[in-house]
Amino acid sequence: MKKIGERKIATPNIPTASTGDIAFLLIIFFMVATHFRTERGLKINLPQAEMTERILKRRNVAAVWIDATGRMTIQDNLVNPAMITAIMSEKVIENPELVVLLQADKDVKYGFVTDVLEALKDARAFKVTFATSYAKGGG
Amino acid sequence: MALSLRRRTRGSSEPNIPTASTGDIAFLILIFFMSTSIFSREKGLKIVLPEKGAETKIKAENILTVAVNQTGQVLIGDRIVNVPDVHTLVREELDKNPELAVALRVSRSAPYQIMVEVFDQLKIAKAERISLVPVQEEGGGQ
Repeated sequence: MKKIGERKIATPNIPTASTGDIAFLLIIFFMVATHFRTERGLKINLPQAEMTERILKRRNVAAVWIDATGRMTIQDNLVNPAMITAIMSEKVIENPELVVLLQADKDVKYGFVTDVLEALKDARAFKVTFATSYAKGGG
Repeated sequence: MALSLRRRTRGSSEPNIPTASTGDIAFLILIFFMSTSIFSREKGLKIVLPEKGAETKIKAENILTVAVNQTGQVLIGDRIVNVPDVHTLVREELDKNPELAVALRVSRSAPYQIMVEVFDQLKIAKAERISLVPVQEEGGGQ
């Protein structure tokens, strides 16, 4: 009994005062690094490509979604190519650096994609990126 | 002043804000942000479209046409090739003629996957001048 009492005095003490600070630091990191998904998009399977590269400036990105049946959405609104021209030309005027990210399903017929590309040309949105996922090597 | 002085003298009732749980709260928020955050998933194959009506004329001998037909077969010139071979073939042509521009002509009913694969192959071959030729209606109506 006496021994236990002695030990109690020498109880090791882990300082926990700074865990909160560490956690807040991480929170700040995640808050800066995060952006909330503002649009739900369509359910698509992206095609794969080996030369996939990242778009560095996220703020310049506007997405056009095309699903396997050829439905197109921008910010969850169903659109047709004429509307894409109208919406995108406004966005290009606001931000000339705009990159249009074409999120198209891999099984969609290319005709829908080319329609969108023509619409983007009309909208003077010339910077386009075909959304792809990294191909697993070896292909 | 009088109040505070009197409290001081009492000593034992010094206000004590418990800070032990701030860490827990912070970690809770941290987990929330971690689970809701999406790191930039925006990645893909870049292309710069040409302006309409500002097509630059390229000599016919400097154009290599890569075509994808309705069934998804890939043709370079008139030859049917396999998709994984496209980059070596295009690279060879580019080595022969550095001025070469690659015209990618994809049928409207070809699957998008094939188009992306071929485009990827052109990128692997480091073809700098790639143009996507819009194909309007095709003979068969399809």
